[in-house]
Amino acid sequence: MSLEAQTIHRETFVINLGPQHPATHGVLRIKLTMDGEYIYDAEPVIGYGHRMHEKMGENRTYAKYLPNTARMDYVAAMFNTHGYVCAVERLAGITVPERAEYIRVITAELNRLASHLLWAGAFLIDLGGFTPLLYTFDDREQILDLLESVTGARLTFCYYRFGGVCNDVDDEFVAGTRQFISRLRSRMPMYHALVTKNIIFRKRCEGIGPITAADCRRYGATGPVLRGAGVAYDVRKAEPYSIYPKLDFNVPVYPESDCMARYLVRMDEIVESMRIIEQALDQMPAGPVMAEKVPKFLKPPKGECYFNVESARGSFGVRAISDGTDKAYRLKLRSPCFSNLSLFQECSRGMLLADALALLGSLDLVIPDIDR
Amino acid sequence: MTILDIQTRFQAIHGAAVTETAHSKHGVHLDVTVTPDRIPDSARLMEEAQYTLEAITGVDWLTEKQIEILYDYTSYASGTRIAVRTRVPRDNPEVATICTLHPGANWHERETHDFFGVKFAGHPELTPLLLPEDADFHPLRKDYGT
Amino acid sequence: MDEQTQVPPGLIHFALMDDVLNLARANSLWPMTFGLACCAIEMMATGAARFDMARFGCEVFRPSPRQCDLMIVCGTINKKMAPAVATLYDQMPEPKWVIAMGNCAISGGPFVFPGQYSVVEGVDKIFPVDVYIPGCPPRPEALIEGILELEKKLTGKRRWPVAPPQVQVTA
Repeated sequence: MSLEAQTIHRETFVINLGPQHPATHGVLRIKLTMDGEYIYDAEPVIGYGHRMHEKMGENRTYAKYLPNTARMDYVAAMFNTHGYVCAVERLAGITVPERAEYIRVITAELNRLASHLLWAGAFLIDLGGFTPLLYTFDDREQILDLLESVTGARLTFCYYRFGGVCNDVDDEFVAGTRQFISRLRSRMPMYHALVTKNIIFRKRCEGIGPITAADCRRYGATGPVLRGAGVAYDVRKAEPYSIYPKLDFNVPVYPESDCMARYLVRMDEIVESMRIIEQALDQMPAGPVMAEKVPKFLKPPKGECYFNVESARGSFGVRAISDGTDKAYRLKLRSPCFSNLSLFQECSRGMLLADALALLGSLDLVIPDIDR
Repeated sequence: MTILDIQTRFQAIHGAAVTETAHSKHGVHLDVTVTPDRIPDSARLMEEAQYTLEAITGVDWLTEKQIEILYDYTSYASGTRIAVRTRVPRDNPEVATICTLHPGANWHERETHDFFGVKFAGHPELTPLLLPEDADFHPLRKDYGT
Repeated sequence: MDEQTQVPPGLIHFALMDDVLNLARANSLWPMTFGLACCAIEMMATGAARFDMARFGCEVFRPSPRQCDLMIVCGTINKKMAPAVATLYDQMPEPKWVIAMGNCAISGGPFVFPGQYSVVEGVDKIFPVDVYIPGCPPRPEALIEGILELEKKLTGKRRWPVAPPQVQVTA
């Protein structure tokens, strides 16, 4: 062999994925240094959806900030509001009546169902299958009908208030939710037959995109990403809040650490959420839905506190620092997707591009949650 | 490592002030204040105890002319939450990076630098993360825009 | 032919052809997959089974701007994203139309406050907009109404009748 042929010069090239791309679920840009079809380095560039949420926390009163919380992770907006409202209630020492706690949990878990259904449809579109999106969106529309009848909104809910919720739920909502849950329960075998057992889906997800428990711990990944790596950490069990201690539910954990494990965790979480909602509907007492004597212009005493909730995407935390006025001194929002995406650069090295996109889809990212 | 061991190890760090806090009131189990030069030691202790770094952020105390840098750690195994804080002078906020011990700190430190201008010495690439690439302002400082 | 209707030589007029072309363009708008923020989810819901944008011809969402003629700007444009949006708009071939969906695309939405540093207050600060759909986020029905307004702008006629409100709002 000639000397020229022996010293084959290998070149990497840089291509740009996004910020407008069908598979990035928002405005995410990834600078890919490629070695052919294999990724040499993938650097996510974020900030294209930065909407100054933390700055607005400082120049809006506590109540005026409530609509902002729904616009961070808009797919699972109830959790962000829940975290913020509970953090401020903890600062101000407000106790929420029990019926309001049950309503919060029911609406939050309905939102978790809607979020996981949307994720399932979008994940399958990333992999090239369009049909499941139409099925999951159909189920999701029924959830949104229920939530719209109570909250007035389809996507960016502003339902929780400091001290409870703003409207009570009626019997129609309770009956409609029970009916919906029995319908969704009967549709789960269809989803498993259509998607989970599909040979193309299995080939694209089994063994693809490994994220180990050590990776998760080093980067702070939580939620289904962590539970799909075999770690049974769920904020609802580790730092229980609201009425979750009274409800009986499992935390699905799969040890395989691949895309299929993360998918199965979310599908099992759909089943567990349905159990939670049914128990909450059974146990919900009568009573007020709003605490008494909550001032209109809330001025929590000077202090600092942290509150985290188990959002559909992971552990969402709010650190509220009050200086005694009606506006927060500092509002730090700990976003689960931020930490989940930070491990992408390391975990996607050496992968085929199509597999890396499956990995990205299985992380369940909502970019405005990362950019805040 | 139990929470008591961690508390003892923190108290052994020179200049550290450790407070046990009620989780139901403050959301954290242990609140530790250290001097800025001891941040790598605290990060090493948390790494040894298998804790995860969940967030790094800053707070601009304008009247006291200090920026407080807060590190939030949690344990997946026990659900314990520890907050480590330090204060640096506002005109030259600098602290050592911990991203070699906790790789997740890389992005958190870039974000804190974006918003507060805190320099993390030893960070491989302290470029803007959430702000535009050519941004030279630090919007979450209390005197921004005035 | 008298003096007033002398057609200059070499110029071809498509009087009826224009109407046909506009009707074809209006009923086969190809939108770009350009979801920026929350409104993108409502756009996806409009494309899904219940609201079904495909009935109005807007089914074919193309990722590449070279293949689209409609850019539905759903979501907030911020200063980091603005050059990318302008590049995408420039890449779209003529004739092209823009729908500003949601309050953020119209005027910056709920993220405008004195001293704000990141949001572009409305997509019409970057390029011209044909239809504005208010809402935060607008309902899928509102997006469909916006598309029908665009069709009316293109063809001069509205294809579907305006539905009067069904529920009497009592004060």
